[in-house]
Amino acid sequence: MRSRLPGAVCAALLAATLLLAGGCLRPAEETSIPPLPAAGEGVNPGLGPEAQPLSSGPGYKGSPSWSPRGDRVAFTVDGYVVDRPVRAGYTRRWTTKDFVAEDVEWTSAGGLAILGSASDPVPAAEASSSVYRARPGEGSLGVREISTDVLAMSPGQGGESLIVALQTGQYGSELASLRNSGAVDRIYTSPIGGRVTGLSLSPDGRKAALAVRTAGYPASFELHTFDLRAGTHRRVARLEEGLEIIGAPQWTREGICYVVGKEEASGGGDTEPLYDLFTVAPDSGAPKPTPGVGEDFVASSIRVSPGGEHLAVVGRLNPQAPINLYVLDLAAQDIEDLTVNEDMEIKTGPDDLAWSPGGESIAIVARGALSEEPRVHAAPKGSLLEDFYNLYEVPVKGRTR
Amino acid sequence: MREAALWVSGAFLAFLATAGAFLLLANLGTGPSETNLTPDPPPEESGPALELTLNRDRLASLRALPGQELAVGVRNAGGEDLSDIHLTLEVSSENTALSEARYYRKTIEELPAGRRVDVPFYLDLSAAVSTASSSATASAVPEPPRKIIEVRATTPGGVSTIKTAIVPV
Repeated sequence: MRSRLPGAVCAALLAATLLLAGGCLRPAEETSIPPLPAAGEGVNPGLGPEAQPLSSGPGYKGSPSWSPRGDRVAFTVDGYVVDRPVRAGYTRRWTTKDFVAEDVEWTSAGGLAILGSASDPVPAAEASSSVYRARPGEGSLGVREISTDVLAMSPGQGGESLIVALQTGQYGSELASLRNSGAVDRIYTSPIGGRVTGLSLSPDGRKAALAVRTAGYPASFELHTFDLRAGTHRRVARLEEGLEIIGAPQWTREGICYVVGKEEASGGGDTEPLYDLFTVAPDSGAPKPTPGVGEDFVASSIRVSPGGEHLAVVGRLNPQAPINLYVLDLAAQDIEDLTVNEDMEIKTGPDDLAWSPGGESIAIVARGALSEEPRVHAAPKGSLLEDFYNLYEVPVKGRTR
Repeated sequence: MREAALWVSGAFLAFLATAGAFLLLANLGTGPSETNLTPDPPPEESGPALELTLNRDRLASLRALPGQELAVGVRNAGGEDLSDIHLTLEVSSENTALSEARYYRKTIEELPAGRRVDVPFYLDLSAAVSTASSSATASAVPEPPRKIIEVRATTPGGVSTIKTAIVPV
């Protein structure tokens, strides 16, 4: 009897403790109540539920570029340059409204490198432009010309420098490296026999891929690689007559990808794609259709991801399909659509898409289908989206397999 | 001594058992009702006291010329008479680099509840005089810009509404 008493006491203590613990537990059904959506929420820009607008209001927008920290995006509006915070905030103008910018790139110092022309005379389509530097907080809408006769530009590794293709003579080009201050770091004296029409760097920043239009008539297009350390370049591929390289070739971890444009067949009824996507190994010289996109894919513009493993493509699965934004996993040869286009026009210019620095998002430019009829909205013009070309952020993270 | 310890343990046990029983009863009494909570519905929105109407057929017939008449319909949809309704109409270009906005203003002195009135505006929809800079900006945009007509109606009492029309002229 004496030996059983401590055991009974312990059992009773345990039971009481369990009872207390049970009493303190919260019922499983007691969950948080989701808030009701606020009035006016749920913007559906016609690109799918995940696309979020980065701009609004009138203006012909293009050439988006993310800041190095990914918190702001710069772009052109009717030729001039603005930027704004990605999440919320006011638009900031960087140039006067008579500026005509073709391309905008952020530098590591938080400034912008702008390819374009400051004012009249109106540049001809074939003319070279200048590169201007703009810094935040200068407040005067002033830009400083740091290089003339520029055919194309690309930010250097880490945004510390700028690689530009300069026009030399009527049909020649050469490359130069500029510091963010505008000072010339290096001029590569190896001449390029033709006009550089597109330029981008390899993922390690040591080499450049160039689209080159050669002299003569009819002109032909070539793909060159340029070793920025050795200062040498070589031709990788030469396109057939009547074909051209659209935009800048993109140096990926699986080779150099580029869009080839074909002249439209006369007579109509031709279902052959107008734009094909090709890949060539930097040292093989044997281009082949980029695997993973499908035989009928029509590519318009491409941009390599920051790591070089993925390629953002604006294009169509076939000539009759709607235009959408896709991401191609180059190693897995797998393409995935990121937008669900519902009667939107996605801009297809070579510079009209941009990866965020971390590769989580892609900025594209789109608007609703144009109408000949007037449209009336119960909203101020500055808040309208589909009626004008506007920027949209399309998330990528978790979508690529 | 041992007996005292047993008494203390027994008293402690009795305390724990009583407290546990009360906690159990408290949970049994209130648990189910918490799961049935639903968010409150939003308050029913009332429409704006002022309504603006732009006739689409008339908008479609506008030309890029001076003296284009456009009647703006204004209706007092509220329950109280309104006075001093200020109308501001802005005509601008879709091309934001062109500084050619034109502004027109009119005032409705009285508008009884439930009444509607058409206010005529005579707009200059012609393009602004071309300059070198406008030529430069035009070269950056490969398509002709549309006109934007934005109408705001406000009262001193804070009632306001807005309509924006995009017109391909």
